[in-house]
Amino acid sequence: MPSDRTNEADYVRPVRRLVIAVLVLVLGGMFLLWRIDSPRVERFRMAFVDAVVPNMDWAMAPVTRASRMVEDFRSYARIYEQNQELRRELQQMRAWREAALQLEQRNAQLLDMAQVRLDPQLTHVTGVVMADAGSPYRKSVLINVGARDGIIDGWAVMDGLGLAGRIAGVGQRSSRVILLTDSNSRVPVMLQPSGQRALVSGDNSTMPVLEFIEAPDDIRPGDRVVSASDGGVFPPGLLVGEVVQGPDRRLRVRLAADYGRLDFLRVLRSRPAERIDHSGALLRPLDGEGQPLDTAPEAPAGAADE
Amino acid sequence: MSEGLRFDTLAFLGLYLLIAALAMLLRLLPLDLMGGGWPGPDLLLCLTIGWLLRRPAHLPAPVIGLVFLIEDLLTLRPPGLWSLTVFLGTEFLRRREAVAREINLALEWAMVAAVMVAMTLAYRLVLAIVMVPQQQLDLSLIKLAFTVAAYPLAVVVLHFVLRVRKPATGEVDELGRRL
Repeated sequence: MPSDRTNEADYVRPVRRLVIAVLVLVLGGMFLLWRIDSPRVERFRMAFVDAVVPNMDWAMAPVTRASRMVEDFRSYARIYEQNQELRRELQQMRAWREAALQLEQRNAQLLDMAQVRLDPQLTHVTGVVMADAGSPYRKSVLINVGARDGIIDGWAVMDGLGLAGRIAGVGQRSSRVILLTDSNSRVPVMLQPSGQRALVSGDNSTMPVLEFIEAPDDIRPGDRVVSASDGGVFPPGLLVGEVVQGPDRRLRVRLAADYGRLDFLRVLRSRPAERIDHSGALLRPLDGEGQPLDTAPEAPAGAADE
Repeated sequence: MSEGLRFDTLAFLGLYLLIAALAMLLRLLPLDLMGGGWPGPDLLLCLTIGWLLRRPAHLPAPVIGLVFLIEDLLTLRPPGLWSLTVFLGTEFLRRREAVAREINLALEWAMVAAVMVAMTLAYRLVLAIVMVPQQQLDLSLIKLAFTVAAYPLAVVVLHFVLRVRKPATGEVDELGRRL
């Protein structure tokens, strides 16, 4: 350093050299110390970072927020692609939703069966649809099972999922199934979860009408429709479909059975429900021969059974 | 030395410390967590050297050592070695401040590039001697190239934005002494 260019006092240069030497020693010593006893210096470093970095929170918050805003703004540029992407996903979600609803229906049906315990003798005969003898005025199909297979008039017919109709006319090798959509079809049903009873009456449209509902205000679209055993025609608890509201504001049933593809049909062998004709008698304790122990007519009911 | 520390000098020193703090803050912010890619230039080093060659009185040697030591500590480098290297490099350039006043930017750039290369080599050499695992050679060479390339940028920012310029002929400091 040429001394004529600097107007320094005489003591400056030795002091500067001393400062430089001290700094070099401190920095070099720190590095050597780190190399020799790394954990201690690393602890010091962590303490230093702990002391310094949290104080920068006030600075980090606005900067991270600003960067997030920039990111958001950038996403506007991709808004069209995002829209497309979301639509695709929505489509997929709809498919999944449909699948979930169907599974839920089946699950509910299975649960119903498990709890209600349908007649264990309720077995079925499966037949193939031979001909669709329908016309604009008659909705019926012919299946290839008949009296030879033990089919009896009036039995319920299901496809894989829901009730499709009932047997109306049995031949030796074939039988006719009148579908729920036929204008002559009347099927007693129960609406869940409100528990009301109604009648599904076909009117040649794809969605039969619900008639004779006691309190239509309790019904809402989406309620399940299952068959009821009123009149002894059908075994109870078979899935029929779900309630929808038509454009004419009448309540109709969207059938669970797939009428577009009726290939195999299942005829349920139902037994006529046992009728209970006599009203209940008083129960009294009995002896071994079945005679009442207590002849007093006002005796309280016991636990014995016949 | 203490007589030179007048308000103007202190203000510029404060400005330098502020910029250094900002640079370190930007390094620490969780903006780019992906990693990968190429290492960016060491802008703080460019700024320090450019500043030093213009107004050495603004940047006392202990300040430089301290700033780079803090950077060492915060960025998990071996503490002390890089700050010692920078300290020695800047002291070398500080001695040649009179030379730097009289050469143009291209020559100054070449001189600074040579010093930076020497600093990087010395740093890696010491790390190799004491057998510290270090980053790959190509990465540190890329970083060095970026840093050297970024030096004129730092000089432009210093000259036009921060108004830190080489002293003109006959310019005096606060005490009326010739610079």
